Amino acid sequence: MKPFNISIEYTTLSNGLKVVIAPDASAPVVTVGVYYKIGFRLEPRGRSGFAHLFEHMMFQGSANAPKMQHIKLINSSGGVLNGSTHYDVTNYFEAVPSNALERILWLEADRMRALKVDDENLRNQRDVVKEEVRVNVLNQPYGGFPWLDLPPIAFRNWANAHNFYGDFADLDAANLADVQSFFKTYYTPNNAVLLIVGDVKSNEGIALAQKYFESIPAGAAPPFADPREPQQTEERRGEVEEKFGTLPAMAIGYTIPARRTPEWCAMSLLEQALHGGRAGRIYRELVLEKQIAVEADGGIDDLFGYNGPTQMVTRILHKPEYSREQTLAAFDAVLENVQRSGLSADELQQLKVKFRSDYFSTLESGHGAMPRFGLMHLLACFSLFDNEPQLVNTILEGFLAVKPEEIQTVANKYLRPANRAIVFRQPVAQAKEAA
Amino acid sequence: MATPAPEVHTTVPPLAPERAVTWPKRAKTRLSNGLEVVLAESHAIPKFHGELFFRSGNAAAAHRSTGLAEITATVARTGTSKRTSRQLEEDLRRIGADLSTSAGSDNSAIAFAGLSEFAEPLLALVNELAREATFPEPEFERERRQKLEEVKLDRTQPGFLASERLRKVLFGAHPYGVVAPTQEQVAAYKRDDLLSVYRDFYTPENAVLLLVGDFQPQAMLDTIEKIFSPWTGKKPEIPPSPEPPRPRGRRVQLVHFPGAVQTQILAGCHAITRKNPDWIKLGLTNSIYGGAFNSRLVMNIREAKGYTYSPRSGVTPLRQHGYFSISAAVRNEVVAASLTEIFYELDKLRALPVPEPELADARNYLSGVFSLGLATQDGLLSQLATVALNNLPDDYLETYREKVRALTPDDLLATARKYLDSANMQIVVVGDRTQVQPQAALFGEVEVFDAHGKRLH
Repeated sequence: MKPFNISIEYTTLSNGLKVVIAPDASAPVVTVGVYYKIGFRLEPRGRSGFAHLFEHMMFQGSANAPKMQHIKLINSSGGVLNGSTHYDVTNYFEAVPSNALERILWLEADRMRALKVDDENLRNQRDVVKEEVRVNVLNQPYGGFPWLDLPPIAFRNWANAHNFYGDFADLDAANLADVQSFFKTYYTPNNAVLLIVGDVKSNEGIALAQKYFESIPAGAAPPFADPREPQQTEERRGEVEEKFGTLPAMAIGYTIPARRTPEWCAMSLLEQALHGGRAGRIYRELVLEKQIAVEADGGIDDLFGYNGPTQMVTRILHKPEYSREQTLAAFDAVLENVQRSGLSADELQQLKVKFRSDYFSTLESGHGAMPRFGLMHLLACFSLFDNEPQLVNTILEGFLAVKPEEIQTVANKYLRPANRAIVFRQPVAQAKEAA
Repeated sequence: MATPAPEVHTTVPPLAPERAVTWPKRAKTRLSNGLEVVLAESHAIPKFHGELFFRSGNAAAAHRSTGLAEITATVARTGTSKRTSRQLEEDLRRIGADLSTSAGSDNSAIAFAGLSEFAEPLLALVNELAREATFPEPEFERERRQKLEEVKLDRTQPGFLASERLRKVLFGAHPYGVVAPTQEQVAAYKRDDLLSVYRDFYTPENAVLLLVGDFQPQAMLDTIEKIFSPWTGKKPEIPPSPEPPRPRGRRVQLVHFPGAVQTQILAGCHAITRKNPDWIKLGLTNSIYGGAFNSRLVMNIREAKGYTYSPRSGVTPLRQHGYFSISAAVRNEVVAASLTEIFYELDKLRALPVPEPELADARNYLSGVFSLGLATQDGLLSQLATVALNNLPDDYLETYREKVRALTPDDLLATARKYLDSANMQIVVVGDRTQVQPQAALFGEVEVFDAHGKRLH
């Protein structure tokens, strides 16, 4: 095994902005990100979907870069850009030839300092977001399954349980005052981290960060809703109608151990034993051997990128000739096998090699082929959640140290009916032939 | 804590001098059995990415049945003379590798990625799949039944229905006119059909092996030579395809999707292949029209009007023919309004030269984004695949950016007039006919189909 070490420079500016530089001059490109510690979980009640709608507003203009300028300046510098909203963070990122670095930092600083948007921008992006929800959820077979279906069934705390894409009534109710107050509360330098990854020297990166960001005033420490869940004591089930798809589907979610604990590492490897592509036990049993299911996959979404209650989710589309109870029984049999017999030393060894290999790929790219997107994402999350971006160099060790008996222990402790939620997605009975 | 002097920079910083873009040297060779090999180093992570391409796909098997190359690729990974399906999957995991087999219109492929320390066992496994797949009967039967469910599911996806219909209208009886088999065709697949496609297509004379990653090229070439040189086989004979129709006049094909809460628009016309000398010109024209976030179409129907989330345009370069297309999923009330803007922007590009500053931005965009592909193993691999599969010149990567930067407003005007064929654009809309048919009818004669391709009246 080759040694692997990413060089990292980490500092905090006087206004509280965290700055992480990971220099690598092997190609003349640089990936820049700004992550704010605000996501779906923390959006205000009555404003479901607001964190995501707000993310769109961040592209609508700032004090010195009016609407259309932001996108135009990045594209015309030879770069690509995007943003995304997660449970606990919202990010804005771009990959550009490295000669555009200073320009990108200026743009990010300008919108961190002063968002400048109006009612027309808000109406426009509300329309765009509704079409986004339609194209990804409402007009697609199995749209939103299970990422939007499961949380309301699995969780009791509104922070974890509401519709993250937003009810249309809530999107319509959002106004410009909401936008400005959300910005003022959460989009402060002291609630953010700036990442510069790629073709930059550490000292130059830090100097540029100071030049453009250090004069942005710090804000008050933002309030954070408590995302903790009451102890679950019973299996939870729910139903969602499937409007277009032809196959019955179900998703089963188990709440997993707290992040960065030995149990979390064991659970992550166990999850790979269960899912892990065509070698995974669930796919092998349900799709290849018993042939009950047409699709069976799952995992822990964005393993390093959340900071609150989360689930390992299995997603199954099964043949109509098998009932949901038969399908679920076949799934349960896979889990019972691990609970009873654990994993062999050989299987665990395979999983560790694959985990290491996947980890390297995560670091190298992501989000299309954006260079080192994954490295940026992990550096950001480890900075905001742990104040320790250097974890990218050591986090792997915990997974490689997992022992077979730990796997069996978490299988028995966490993969219990009283720790799970199930959503059934049932195709509507009506004939869909043309009138 | 001292407060820093408030210093606000109000103007856009200029671009710094560009650092040279240096593409890694490629090691190229052809083994005595005809297998073409291209390697490039990339040491960002201790892994490598590779793809073994066969220059024949579903189109080359279309006279036998639809989608035959694809089902052949699917079943090829389910057993070899040395390993069962389960052993193959576990052996891949044991060396930390990912592998997929697939086929498109023009090529079949085994794509893989793994740790550098296990390069040899992974290449040996790829070699085994290319030469010694056994197509076990029960595996074939299972995959065939899986495929049946997949083709049913496809028909519930607006995006699939739109592209299926556009291909049909642009390519007719040419193999590119069909994108997926019917249930009846899948039900009629036989194991022997797959075996004969495998025998014919999966040969070294028909293949190119590309590898990018953390390795020493000479040592890797030696390993490849050792593993792949005993393989033998000729190029397949492929019957010629019929000429596609050249539909004239704007026509509208409406695929009725009852209950749709949004309408998928897809419009397209014939264009060019990658080998055409106009390719880069059309690429730049497309990026100004709808190929970039900062493009005219996106700024118009998304950022100004809010009709859609994801408008885009692109050129699809198949080997024998290429086509240009525009897609947008819009709310039902603005189907006509969206099409009006789609054609307005097309006609504007055909009528007026692109202003020089806008062109300069687009040139920078296309050449900058091209160099991002340099920074990842996967990105570099896909660039090498473009060159190898289209037989482009060796200096394609090195000269692409200069060629983009040399283009003028006149070049783009001529290109738009030649290829953005506004008058003969074929329009597909997938939506609820009760809501969208009158709007669609404003743009041409409307034919209505159900999700299975049956004409509705």
